[in-house]
Amino acid sequence: MTPEVKSEQGQACLRGLMQIWFEFERQLGRVPLIARLERGQFNRDDYCQLLLHWRQQVIEGGRWISRTASSFDRDFADVRSTVIGHAQEEHHDYEVLERDFVAAGGDLDALRNAERNAGTEALHAFLMYRASQPNPVDMLGAMWIIEGLGQKMASDWAERIETLTKTSGEMTSFMRYHGENDDDHLNKLYALLDRLCRSEADVKAIHRTARVTARLYALQLEEIDHG
Amino acid sequence: MSVYITSTGHFLPGEPVENEQMEARLGLVNGKPSRLKRRILQSNGIQTRHYAMDAEHNTTHSNAEMAARAGDDCLAQAALRPSQVQLLSAATSQGDLVLPGFGSMVQAELGLRDIELHTSHGICSSSMMALKAAYTSLKAEEHDNALVVASELASRLFKASRYEAAGGDPDFNAEFLRWMLSDGAGAFLLEKQPRGRCFRIDWIKGFSHADAYPVCMTVGQPSDAADLRSWQDFATYAEAEAAGALLLRQDVRLLDNIVKLGVDGYLKLIDSGHVRPDQVDHLLCHYSSHYFKSRIFDMLQQAGVGIEEPRWYSNLYTRGNTGCASIMIMLDEFRRTRAHEPGQTILCMVPESGRFNTVYMQLTVVEGEQ
Repeated sequence: MTPEVKSEQGQACLRGLMQIWFEFERQLGRVPLIARLERGQFNRDDYCQLLLHWRQQVIEGGRWISRTASSFDRDFADVRSTVIGHAQEEHHDYEVLERDFVAAGGDLDALRNAERNAGTEALHAFLMYRASQPNPVDMLGAMWIIEGLGQKMASDWAERIETLTKTSGEMTSFMRYHGENDDDHLNKLYALLDRLCRSEADVKAIHRTARVTARLYALQLEEIDHG
Repeated sequence: MSVYITSTGHFLPGEPVENEQMEARLGLVNGKPSRLKRRILQSNGIQTRHYAMDAEHNTTHSNAEMAARAGDDCLAQAALRPSQVQLLSAATSQGDLVLPGFGSMVQAELGLRDIELHTSHGICSSSMMALKAAYTSLKAEEHDNALVVASELASRLFKASRYEAAGGDPDFNAEFLRWMLSDGAGAFLLEKQPRGRCFRIDWIKGFSHADAYPVCMTVGQPSDAADLRSWQDFATYAEAEAAGALLLRQDVRLLDNIVKLGVDGYLKLIDSGHVRPDQVDHLLCHYSSHYFKSRIFDMLQQAGVGIEEPRWYSNLYTRGNTGCASIMIMLDEFRRTRAHEPGQTILCMVPESGRFNTVYMQLTVVEGEQ
């Protein structure tokens, strides 16, 4: 059950985040690799490329979440606890992704030696920069996008990829497992809306960070076809 | 200068068909009862609908004929004589003929002389596009009035023999709409001055997202998703039919997007000041299925811009989902049966899943001279 958002600021923030999310889904739909997935013209090579580019961001994911947690001072101790719990659950995610990559026929050394693409660089730099600010309330926007995507992977992409590659879950455990957690994480974010949106400035900052995160995330996926 | 909907009309062919009677009318595919029917009907909540086709699969009314009967019904209640109609704007998903445009056929059925003609083509939102074309025509002072009609004859696509011709048992996506769509037509008369109790059109706005999504509702693609040919690319139409390219399909995997995009457009219109949720007295939403209504409702409630249950109106459950005609049949029945007072605001919402076009319209109830 999704927690109820009660405050007016919290609801205004939620409306903006919903719109940014819907726009993000449209941006994803225009990414060549994702468009192939949606149209049903996606193969195992596409999947390996997706994981190869993804890993570089997933492996850093634990860092920006931990940084976000540590940037909250004592006034936000409750928020810090939520974010720490989240970081704890995700910082070994990349190992699951690596196993999937090998199961899909990828070369582990190639995966480990791959460089971040231009979108990943920009996304990582932006998230680390914002996470390093004191009391980074706006990181709620970043988490909204990243967790939302995790849920989308589990509820939508994993099955689609399995159908198109004629597999049955042996190489999509990262997507599936990650999404199971993200459902719970998204509920925690809903619960944070009333807590973190105390002024119009907060709402604006959360929306801005969500929008930038979404754009850079899409750029990261666009770069897969440019590499 | 404002534009008013001064009259409305509808046509629903034959007697209402109950859920238990549907399959006898449409036919058993390969002699076997459908295994999906109950599940789909449970989810969409529709209890009765109408078909312009008898149990022997003879068409009882053509699509153009239904459109014309709805137009007649609308004009019979108007202060205007049919010979005074200046513009006919017509919509359907599939006319009786591939060519010419549906509007020409409807004009002939209506016997309207010397009119300007517009046909809009699409799925559920095509009526709103036809309505917008008429509305802007009056706004631009090209015409003093316009008759807008929308009609659907989907049942022809659902004959058991059509599925049999495509070979094997129909897959879920090909069968889904068989238990959703039915036939009917609606009509509005638009004028530049109010007459009696009528509706002022405050605005009509659409948001189309075909660039970001694959097609979700189609006729013309073969069953094999890897086969990229259109039905017109086959050597013969018989081959296209055998490949399943003439079946009406819904990619149910993508359907959830229609809920999100419906909400997205609504939020956009709140941001731009077009919609004020607390001032919406009646919401007429063309949701294809009860399931989607509850999804949209929950999402709006949570975001604090919900419209309470008693303000929602739909006749989906008794008149069926008649595609582009639905919103017009809905407003027509609303006008005749639901209390509405001058000054009240009506929001109409038509999210189309074809390739994701959502159209909204706001009306204000006004009282003009008779």
